[in-house]
Amino acid sequence: MFQNMMDKSVAKSPWLFHVNAGSCNGCDIELVAVLTPRYDAERLGFRLAGSPRQADIVVVSGPVTRQTRDRVIRTIEQVPEPRVVVSIGSCPRSGNVFKGSYAIDGPLEKWVHVDVAVAGCSPKPEAIMAGLAQATEILKQKRKEMRK
Amino acid sequence: MLPYLKQALSNLFKKPSTMAFPAGDPPKAQEGYRGRITFDPNLCMNCGMCERVCAPQCIVRDIKKLENGDQEITFTFDMTSCTFCATCSDFCAKKAIKLSDDYMIVGTKPEDFMVRESFIKKAPPKPKFTPEQLAEMKKKAEAAKAAKAAQAANAKKAE
Repeated sequence: MFQNMMDKSVAKSPWLFHVNAGSCNGCDIELVAVLTPRYDAERLGFRLAGSPRQADIVVVSGPVTRQTRDRVIRTIEQVPEPRVVVSIGSCPRSGNVFKGSYAIDGPLEKWVHVDVAVAGCSPKPEAIMAGLAQATEILKQKRKEMRK
Repeated sequence: MLPYLKQALSNLFKKPSTMAFPAGDPPKAQEGYRGRITFDPNLCMNCGMCERVCAPQCIVRDIKKLENGDQEITFTFDMTSCTFCATCSDFCAKKAIKLSDDYMIVGTKPEDFMVRESFIKKAPPKPKFTPEQLAEMKKKAEAAKAAKAAQAANAKKAE
């Protein structure tokens, strides 16, 4: 019973951790806009966590530059299982206009499994909200599978 | 002091400015918003300009030869690679590529982000005669002409 209660309450507060993997700041601004009163993702329980160890969902933006690659991988590894990786914008998925650059070591899919991707350059806050909603569903499923 | 008080009082009775979005339908995008690409395969004339001008190389064109000489041409637009700059639609001579106002491009599989359309390009009709046959026919016609001219000259001489 206690476990059930825990599951229910945990499902309603999926905390985010935002990793900037060399993003141009466009997607970062949109993610911050999601947390403002206008879109207010906090009413759905999303909150930016200060440390990856407290987070459930990792939000990655940017094309994974060589400088950030190791740090991104390390940060995502620090997030406890079950974790969901959400990529925001075109960059983490493909490299976007930076494709083929010597400074890029992407896509993100090469290093970690990306569960949900939100495309756009940059995506609208509504699209990010929809992506995060999908991420919570996946998180719930992953929790169930871990129980078994 | 008074204007602030007025504002504070009016705010008390205002609706919250937060959007209801996850509960209701997503709001419409602004006019001229550049969202998911739509491609009309019936208008396309396969010039390949879009593929050429695309900076992030998100447009891929596959040309498959069919048995009867036709070509099946497939255009794939990868939405996770697109910058939504609309250069492809600007350069499209037939306006086959357009950017819609659909911004909800969210998914878990790569297939969710692909806009894929294909059309068949008909091969030109086969000529009735081969070039060799044509050359032979030309030769024959010339020979006939020369013979006729010679006959006419002979007839003139006889007169």
